[in-house]
Amino acid sequence: MSTAIRRFGRAAWPPLAFGVGFLAIWELLVRVFDIQPFVLPAPTAIWSAFTVRFSEVFDQTLVTGTNALVGLLIGTFMGVVMSLITVRFRLLEELVTPLAVALNAVPIVVIVPVLNNMLFGTTSQVPRRLMVALIVFFVVFVNVSKGLRQVSATHLELMRSYAASSSAILLKVRVPNALGYLFTSLRISAPLAVITAFVAEYFGGVQNGLATGVRSSLNGSKDVTWAYVIGASALGLTFYMISVGLERLQRGKQPADQFT
Amino acid sequence: MTDQPAVNVRGASMVFNAGTPGQVDALSEVDVIVDPGEFVSLIGPSGCGKSTLLRLIANLIEPTSGSVEVNGKSAKQACADQDYGMAFQQSGLFDWRSVAKNIELPLELKGWDKAKRAARSQEMLDLVKLSDRGAHMPWQLSGGQQQRIAIARALASHPPLLLMDEPFGALDEMTREHMQAELLQICEVTNTTVVFVTHSIPEAVYLSDRVVVMSAGPGRITDVIDVGLGKNRDEGTRENDSFYKKITEVREALRGAELGDGARGIEDR
Ligand SMILES: Nc1ncnc2c1ncn2[C@@H]1O[C@H](COP(=O)(O)OP(=O)(O)OP(=O)(O)O)[C@@H](O)[C@H]1O
Ligand SMILES: [Mg+2]
Repeated sequence: MSTAIRRFGRAAWPPLAFGVGFLAIWELLVRVFDIQPFVLPAPTAIWSAFTVRFSEVFDQTLVTGTNALVGLLIGTFMGVVMSLITVRFRLLEELVTPLAVALNAVPIVVIVPVLNNMLFGTTSQVPRRLMVALIVFFVVFVNVSKGLRQVSATHLELMRSYAASSSAILLKVRVPNALGYLFTSLRISAPLAVITAFVAEYFGGVQNGLATGVRSSLNGSKDVTWAYVIGASALGLTFYMISVGLERLQRGKQPADQFT
Repeated sequence: MTDQPAVNVRGASMVFNAGTPGQVDALSEVDVIVDPGEFVSLIGPSGCGKSTLLRLIANLIEPTSGSVEVNGKSAKQACADQDYGMAFQQSGLFDWRSVAKNIELPLELKGWDKAKRAARSQEMLDLVKLSDRGAHMPWQLSGGQQQRIAIARALASHPPLLLMDEPFGALDEMTREHMQAELLQICEVTNTTVVFVTHSIPEAVYLSDRVVVMSAGPGRITDVIDVGLGKNRDEGTRENDSFYKKITEVREALRGAELGDGARGIEDR
């Protein structure tokens, strides 16, 4: 255990040192050139704004974080279910997959205002969560589908020589094979979920969330704005670290050469 | 039932990518009959269609023409009845299953209960001399050890027909000889029929009742050699005079097959 901590410490000190140095130079520049707070506040000023408004920033982080999490869960669930369905029914696959790939290339967040106006009104978080779910869905669907299909030919022949039914093949070969792909797609889509939840707030709707906080504080002193940026960074990092942790946990059972 | 051949291949041809520039005549008009409890080896140069013939018998592919019967049934029915055990050129173990769980896979599919499965997989692990590796993952074993697990998996359910494609290729000489002896003994006890692909002439002679010699372009059977070393083979067999005579006979049949090819090639030009 202590060796693991030591190894972490060794890996962590260069970026930490860089971060501290960067903040120190920033602070120095602001003081030496007397830069005004509404242009660029000093790190110490941002930090004090952050501590003073901690509960406010925390609440808005929670709003955005909940949107991202709900969307992530729904999108992942739908992506997994949909890829399981399409692997069983060839025709559906030929119908859905090209559509999913094409739609994936469209910046879909821009329809949030349309959803706000037409369907849910401006007091609902649903359009934001829907956007997150949609984006996550594509990533999970494309990756998990690949995992369900790219199974070894020897494994398939072996199962067929046992007269295994296609549902047995699905359960014992395809699904276990796709598990790694699922966790990889989670690692990709978790930060994407936070970004989408954040961006969706820019397109109107309820007056809360981190992006709303950033936008409404832009008129005043920028240290408040930056306090929200701290919240956003912490949120993105949390999501990323949890998904990487999950992937590590799953990959612990795989051969080492599959690490990337 | 007993007087039915275990494997009956009649006039089987296999053409891949027919009618395209990439057409391959993998097998042409092949006849093979294997009696129940018999051990038959397929030997021949690379690409002569040994694996293809094995896959035909296993119902993994269907012949372009001709027929394949197993235990008096169509190959399809035999497959549905789970008459087969297979070991491939690649071990084909599942990375996400422990070694023991890999061996238990065919038993799971046959609906055995958990205790019975565990007992059998331990028995098979003992057999391939990897008794304490059951809880390991396949990628923690060496290539040869993985191959032994794949063989254990093929044998686990005591299938009436065992199809093996160069299963001992990755093993060192001593393990190989040990596995050969064990395989013979298991087949003797369980009266298993085996069709066995190999590149090694001594291996074919030591294991088989009959050796089927094949040649390429198109893949066909050029010779069938009765070995007749009797059922009770042991280490002494390998030093027998009759053992060496049979090796010579198979080698000459193989060379004859290739010379035949060459002669035909000259005529074609
Ligand atoms: N699916 C396939 N599609 C096209 N050609 C194939 C296919 N499978 C096998 N062949 C061809 O059929 C021929 C016989 O192949 P096969 O695998 O049966 O050879 P083999 O005797 O097992 O050779 P080796 O000893 O190298 O394993 C080869 O020329 C090969 O290229
Ligand atoms: Mg082969």
